[in-house]
Parts: sequence; structure tokens; C-alpha cells
Amino acid sequence: MATRAREVEWERVLWKRQPFPDNYVPRTFLLSLSTNANFRPYTYGSLVLASCTISLHLSVIFVFLAIFVRLKERTLDPRLLVWISIVSFVLFYTLWEIVEHLGAEKSRLVDRAKTVKSSILIFLALLALSPVLRTLTSATSSDSIWALSACLFALNIVLADYTPAPVGRHSRERLTSVLSVNAAISASVVLASRLVDDVSVFALMLVSIEAFALFPLLRRRLQIVPVVFPTLTALASGLAVSLTAALSPSVACLYVAVFSFVTLAAPSLLVWAQQYKNEIRGTWDAAVPKVNGAARPR
Amino acid sequence: MDRLTIAMVSDFFLPNVGGVESHISMLAANLIKRGHKVIVITHWHPPSRVGVRWLSPGLKVYHIPLRSIASSATLPDFFCFLPYFRTIVLREGIQLVHGHASLSSMAHEAILHAHHLGVRTVFTDHSLFGFDDAASILTNKLLEGALRNVDRTICVSHTGRENTVLRARLLPETTYVIPNSLAPDQFRPRDEGHSVETVTIVVVSRLAYRKGIDLLIAVAPQICKRFPDVSFIIGGDGPKMIDLLQMREKYSLQDRIQLLGSIKPADVRDVLTRGQIFLNTSLTESFGIATLEAACAGLYVVSTRVGGVPEILPLGKTEDFVGIEEQEEGMIMFADPEEDDLVQAISRAIQHVVSGLHSPQKAHDRVKNFYTWHDITERTERVYEDVMSSRPYDFWTRVQRNMSMGPFFGPIFTVIFFVDCLFYAYLEWWLPREDVERSYGRWSFATFGEALACGEAAPCTENIDNPVSAPQEL
Repeated sequence: MATRAREVEWERVLWKRQPFPDNYVPRTFLLSLSTNANFRPYTYGSLVLASCTISLHLSVIFVFLAIFVRLKERTLDPRLLVWISIVSFVLFYTLWEIVEHLGAEKSRLVDRAKTVKSSILIFLALLALSPVLRTLTSATSSDSIWALSACLFALNIVLADYTPAPVGRHSRERLTSVLSVNAAISASVVLASRLVDDVSVFALMLVSIEAFALFPLLRRRLQIVPVVFPTLTALASGLAVSLTAALSPSVACLYVAVFSFVTLAAPSLLVWAQQYKNEIRGTWDAAVPKVNGAARPR
Repeated sequence: MDRLTIAMVSDFFLPNVGGVESHISMLAANLIKRGHKVIVITHWHPPSRVGVRWLSPGLKVYHIPLRSIASSATLPDFFCFLPYFRTIVLREGIQLVHGHASLSSMAHEAILHAHHLGVRTVFTDHSLFGFDDAASILTNKLLEGALRNVDRTICVSHTGRENTVLRARLLPETTYVIPNSLAPDQFRPRDEGHSVETVTIVVVSRLAYRKGIDLLIAVAPQICKRFPDVSFIIGGDGPKMIDLLQMREKYSLQDRIQLLGSIKPADVRDVLTRGQIFLNTSLTESFGIATLEAACAGLYVVSTRVGGVPEILPLGKTEDFVGIEEQEEGMIMFADPEEDDLVQAISRAIQHVVSGLHSPQKAHDRVKNFYTWHDITERTERVYEDVMSSRPYDFWTRVQRNMSMGPFFGPIFTVIFFVDCLFYAYLEWWLPREDVERSYGRWSFATFGEALACGEAAPCTENIDNPVSAPQEL
């Protein structure tokens, strides 16, 4: 029986009764297994560049916090801050226009008129709302506010959309990125309610709208621009550290540690961890249906 | 072989319907037919299915009061099941536990507990899982934990076996391939004599992403356009129903595509025999019993080439339309899960059916011989025999096997194992095994007659009078 069984070729079928025991291990067992089929080794340099967007986002938050502390300690004139934010808005909007232009997408005059209109509207709305925002949480103790805003900023960092959005490709806003913007704005609102006068509240909210609602749009556009983006990141993180160093050297040291971890240590960790990658593919995997036209969402 | 007392354990059992459910009940019925005593342990379905029930061929079902959390699976808590399980095993004198389905935590827990009682274990895996998403990683770990303690594993297809061996890191020699089977009499083809002028394509499936309904939605309008006298019948319900309805609306195919909604298992045959071609667009399938049922009902099958489906039916050389003899061999046509390839395959299948080369009766007769419950039960018995003749793992081997699951999960599972042992020891003290009432043994016409005769002579001769009767003697 045994010799005869070996003569017959084993077939990978169930409908035929074969002269093999049910636990026979054929030579072709697990032949269709492929490991790390789509393996693409990371390079350290590209990961460092890719991590710039996280550093930039962090430094924007750090700069914002430094501004808040100065406003609270009344070492910064809020009127000056309003002027600075208006000037930087104009600067960054010009940069946005340049990027759009280079991306060969004609931004029409109507769009620009709309932008001007809505920015004036936001400006006025914030101005009108600032007395309300100032007294919003007057019944809450400051400790709760610090804790709340810390949680909200953490949420903002975790949920922020760090994927690039090059010009010309309209990617849909994901729910998480909307949540992220909301968390940051809420954090700014509760922080602003700790300030003493209306102008400070207005100035801080103006900065927060620019930094957390508008700047991420530009950041995602710029993300793939080779030299500009790393330079911008370096400048922003330098600004964050220098603004904080005057307030508290120990926090500035912490920031430096965070930046160096995100840009230098984390990529090398990822490169090191990739040697343990073991992706198994085989006939049992659910197939991905190929349908002509747009890929259907699940 | 010796008659055994077997407990089938799974979360998935009647009154739910599905592949696993019908497999368990059919296998149990056939084992009873061959002289074994079989019981089923599953969770309850309040308010109707609670406590103990007897199903038609003398199958006793214990419904354990455990709540199901999602799609009829209970929470994997490892310990809640033990008191019930121990009492049932002692009461029924169980020698072997056969767990089913890799998402059934009751089956996993039964395997973990069984060894305390000296009961041997077999596990049947019915499904395929990936390795790369969070849900798969978690369930694969749970499965691995259970299968470190199991004696033998059965898979339903060769693909399923490869998958299980990788997921649970088993030795391939301890896994067996035993396919599912079907009751061919329930899937008789329609009487011959109908001339095939209009071809009807039948789809019977849950309308979900994994069943490839997106492909169906893309393919159906193209087929309808290409063949003006082809129509579709789609049975089943699910989240993709809306998409199907939209497609039908968009291409105004209301008179060509019939959507039946969910159909009862008893009506499946009647739906199948309304058509000539069965279309299976699944993206993953470990066995594909629905496809087999359709082939048995005399339909020509077009399927995607996924999972274990290529193993279940003979593939003819129909691709190039060669000789007639060769075409007759094939019962199934495969396509890659791509829109264009599927349209091609369906077109060829339509030509094949229209040309009259496919005989439903002949197909039925062939499928009838491919899979029989008699054969499947015999093969399962051989696994049982193998288990009973092998040596069980001793305590330290089991500890080592549990620890070998990895630096993180290994210790966790070993702790679970130790706690389980302690809980078992507590139960031995709290409810000594002598106090567990033994069941009356196996049902048969002979014992039924005896009981009747006894009842006439002296009523109330239950085994309460005779509580120490060892189950092995029965």
C-alpha cells in the first residue's frame, strides 16, 4: 500500500479520493506562501525628511504656547501680535498662491475675492466674540484648564493629517483631521479664556485660527517641496526653542529632546525594526476585487 | 473502532443557520448512526432555546447560559464555561471533545478544560484568516493558545490547512484535511427536458464585501448588455443590497435581475434549480459549500479563484473549447477576481450551457459520489481513533507548550492555564464528582424497548437508583 501510494501523484483536490492518509504532508505544502512580497526597505534620509512634517506641526504648537504665556504674563503687547499675525497671514497666503501657481492650477479671481471676504468675516466674528470667550470658563479653575488643553493638544497631535496633499489632487478631508482641527481650536478657546483683556483674547484666537486651521492646509501642500520644507521646519523649530528658552530653559531643553527624537531617533528605530518585518501572503488571503473605473470603498 | 462518547462544542449551532451549524449537526447525526454517543454543547438562545433539547436523530443539545456578544459568539473569558463543562462531561461520560470554528470561544475553552478531566480533544477549523489586521492578530493568538492544547486538528481544505498551520504554528502532521459534505438528496436537479433558450444565472450569497458583491455589481450589467436573453436571480441579503438595487435602477434591469432577499435554507434548492449557471464571486472562501450545493443541483459553476474553491470540483479544459469529452469533465470555470476576467468566464459558461454540453443530471450524479457523509464520518472516526491511541500531553509538557507561544503571550496564557487548574481543583472540592448525577447512556431502540418493559414491571427505575454506574459500561 505504501509503495503504491507513493507512485500515485498527490493532487491538491478534495473531490477525488486519494490513496493518502488525511494528514499526509505533500511536497507542495505551503509552496504558495510568500513572505514580504511588497517589501520596500526604508532609507534613513527619506524617513528623516518625512518626519519633518511632524516636527513642523509640533513646533507650531510650541510657538503658540510660548505666545500664550507671554500674553498671560503681559510681556507681549496684544496689538503687536495682531499686526504680526496679519502680516504673516499675508506672507503665507502669498506662499500658498505661489505653490498653486507652480502646480499649474489656475486659481481664479473669484476664489481670491472669496478668500478676502471670508478672512474679513472671521476677523470680525472673532473680534465680536472675544468678550464672550474671555469669560467663558471663569467658573472653572485654572488647573482643569491646563489639563484640558493639554489633552486637547495631545489629541490634535495624534489625529492630525500628516499625509501630503500635492496641488492638483483633491483629497477628501478625513474625519480624524477635522477632529484634530477642532481639538486644537477648543484648546485655544479654553486657554484664551484665561487671559485678562479682550484684545489679548482676540489676538490669541487669531493666531490659533491661522496656526491650526489654515497652516495645516499649506503644510500639506508644501510637504513634498524638497528644499523649502526642511528649511521651514528648521526655522519653525528654532523659533519654538528660542521663544521658549527665554521663558523656561528646562522646557526648551525638553523641546530640543522631542525634536531630536522625532527627526533623528524615531527614523532609525523604524529602520532597525524593519528587519523583523514578516508579512505572510498566500492563497487564503482575501482577494482585492478589480473593478474597472474608480475603486469602490468598502 | 470502539464506540465513543463525543461532545461537539461550538458557539455556532442551530437554530442559527450556516455552514458550521449544518456541518456539526450532520456530522453528529452520522456519528450517532455509526453507534457513537454524541451530544452538542452550545450557548443559549433565550427565550426559546435554553436548557437541554433533543434534536431529531437522538442528538442531545446542552444550551449553556452564556450571552453572545457579536454574531452569536460568546465572550472569551476562559473560566465561566468550566463549571458547566465539567458537570456535563462527568454526567455524560464524555471521552472526546470536538470543538468547531476558530471564532468560537466555547470551543477554545472546552479544549483548554478537557485535559483536566482526561478527555481527548479534536478541533475543526472552518475558516480562513489573514495575518495583517488587528482582529486577525488577536483571534489568531487566541486560536494558537487553544491549539497548543489540542490533540488533533481538522481543516476543511488544503488551503485551510496551510492557513491553520501558519496561524496556530502547528506541526502539519497533526492536522488532517477532511472536507465538508452535503446531503445530495436535498439538491436534486430539475427534471430534464427543458430546452435551454434563456439562460438564468443564479447567485445565492450573503450580500457582503467579502462575498465579492462589488464584482457582481460591475459584471451583471455587462453580461445583460452582451447577452439580451440572460437574466439574473440573486438570493440573500446584507449590507450590499442597496448597491445592488442602485445598479439595477441605474441600468434599468428590473426585468432582468431579480432580487429575492434572504431565503430559507429549505428553499435554496428551489432557487438554484431556476437557473443554469451559478455564480460565486467570493473574495475568500475556505471551502465554498454553497458552490458545491449549486453544482449538486446541476448548475454549471463560475467562480473566482480564491481560497479552497479550486479544490472542490474538477476543472475541465474548457478554456479553449477543445474536444467534447474534455469539456464534459469540467464542472466549474474559474476567473480571477477581476471584472474583465469574470465577464469572459461567464460568457464562456453561457456558451457552454447554451450549446447543451452541460447535463444537470450527470453533474448531480458526479457530485453525489465526490462527497458523501458516510465517507466523511469514516475519515473523522479515523482521526478520533488516532487521538485515542496517542499519548496525552502531561502537565509540564503543556506548560512548556503554552510558554513557547512567545515572550509576551506565552506567560499570559500559562497564567490562564494555572488559574484554570486551580479553578478546576476548587470545583472538585465544591462539587465532588461522586455527586454528579450520571446520564442514562445511549439511546437506541433496544434500550427504549427495555425501558418500556421495565416501566411496565416496576415504574421509576431511573439510574438515580444506580448512581455509580460508570459511563464506560453503558
